[in-house]
Amino acid sequence: MTQSEPKLAGVGAAGTAGGGRSLWGRLLTSEVYQALSAVLFKTQRRQFWLLASFPLFWVFFAHLGPILRMFWISFLDAYPPSVGQTPELTLANWTKFFEEAIFVMPYFRTLGFALVLTVSTLVITYPVAYFLAKHVRRNRQLLFLLILLIPFWVGEIVRTYAIMILLGNNGAVNLILKSLGLVDRPIPFMYTSFSLSVGIIYLTSLYMLLPLYSALEKIPNNYLEAAADLGAGSWTRFRRVTLPLSKEGIASGCTLVFLISTGYYATPVLLGGPSTTVFSETIAGFFYVAGDQWPVGAAFASIMLITTLSAAAIFLKLMGRSGPGMLR
Amino acid sequence: MTRHTRILMSVIYWAFIVYLFVPLVLMVMMGFKDSKFIGFPIRGWTLEWYTGIFQDAEVLSVFAYSMTIAIASTALSLAIGTWVACFLGPNRFRGKLIVFALTCLPAVIPGIISAISLRIYARALDIEPGMLAIILGHTVHNVPFVALVVMARLATLPPSHIEAARDLGADSIVAFFRVTLPYLIPALVGAGIFCMLLSFDDFVRSFFLGSYEPTLPVLIFAMLRSGMSPEINAISAVVLVLTAVLGLWAERSMRRLNRGS
Repeated sequence: MTQSEPKLAGVGAAGTAGGGRSLWGRLLTSEVYQALSAVLFKTQRRQFWLLASFPLFWVFFAHLGPILRMFWISFLDAYPPSVGQTPELTLANWTKFFEEAIFVMPYFRTLGFALVLTVSTLVITYPVAYFLAKHVRRNRQLLFLLILLIPFWVGEIVRTYAIMILLGNNGAVNLILKSLGLVDRPIPFMYTSFSLSVGIIYLTSLYMLLPLYSALEKIPNNYLEAAADLGAGSWTRFRRVTLPLSKEGIASGCTLVFLISTGYYATPVLLGGPSTTVFSETIAGFFYVAGDQWPVGAAFASIMLITTLSAAAIFLKLMGRSGPGMLR
Repeated sequence: MTRHTRILMSVIYWAFIVYLFVPLVLMVMMGFKDSKFIGFPIRGWTLEWYTGIFQDAEVLSVFAYSMTIAIASTALSLAIGTWVACFLGPNRFRGKLIVFALTCLPAVIPGIISAISLRIYARALDIEPGMLAIILGHTVHNVPFVALVVMARLATLPPSHIEAARDLGADSIVAFFRVTLPYLIPALVGAGIFCMLLSFDDFVRSFFLGSYEPTLPVLIFAMLRSGMSPEINAISAVVLVLTAVLGLWAERSMRRLNRGS
């Protein structure tokens, strides 16, 4: 689209619109700018690439780059390479994973944990989301949702600490149990898979709740009424109407919670114990404790990334979800 | 829906609220405890811990450090995220789905892997661990959120607005700054505050990309490893109040946005 003619005509309009010559009007008429835009916007195609250049650079360089680099490092025998030596390609970092139980165990523990926690979070939050979407009056839903959101904004560390105070030997739960006379010695909740589960559900539950809520909220009430008129009991209505129609929310909620819960590092360190070592702690060990084992850590992180992303993809496929709806 | 299930569900809802709030309330309360020892029951109360952190030069400088990182990474995320959204939203081209997936990638990668890959990448690019590395790391993590929010808002902008501007002589740059950008402002405010929260609260990326100078969550983590103390409670409580206020503000601006469109 060549536009030198209409543009010049229009500059007057743009310039006079604001009473006198506006900054934009002056910019449009300045010779430098006109020369520049004549080059830059000469063709539609050029304009497209100009707009596309930086986003494409950014997503490939900054979003994909780190992952590819991590994969690359995982095949090197030493990183950073010693001076004067060229690193050699090797599969040893990847095979190391299968050789020792202290690596394989945390891996399967993490996946099992994430699976159990995802299901528990779904079971816990579904009634909450349903109540919110169907039983709270519409004009009050935002307020009720806001109450749920406030703890969600607080970071991982602060909320983890809050759970430590709740479950500690001198924590609130043990205080209540003791004063009720149910126990005479505090129950050691902390540093077990129980405390870790409570903590992770505490952190992730809203990632489940929000997609569930928005899916449930979209179900028209008259669907349920129609089902009731046709003689469906409340269980049948739930199983045949509500559940299938909230499938989308369940799918995205479960995926989010699964992916996020495998990625926590500080929470397992603070709430878990030696018997609950998760894979993120194993990975971090190669970077933080044993500083020179980056390639092994990179290989382990790649294994985890491939597993979690493919698990999520398979799950979404099974739930029959197509691509994101935002793309028209 | 029978009355019983209805009552049961409201009980579950309120129980859930209690589950969410009680730990935080206890944490704030414990910061007022007049003892170095964390645990119940609380017998004496004091303001000492809360006033103490505002006089602690180390805590204050760490706070300023975290804030600087949050503001810088938010500014970068907003600029980059908006550009990505303006490219990805209206244009149709082959491979769009791939670019979209790549845009969302940092948001779906488990935290630890994101942190570690960024640490490796920073080394490859010769960026020393420290402020710049954290700022860039947070930016990579936040861009998807900005891009998604801006794309959603962009989808509601009537094309006729842009066409009108073009008819009046604006070229695409002027049309962007005078029509599109003002239309995006509410979305940018909401996304911006959300980015600040994500950056300010982020632990895993700050931990792996940082040098010896900690951000606030990293400082709390380090203190926690050497034992609980009411001082940590006081710091956490201040962080909590701050994030809650920021969050409510973001929510308000996002709600105004929804009403506007």
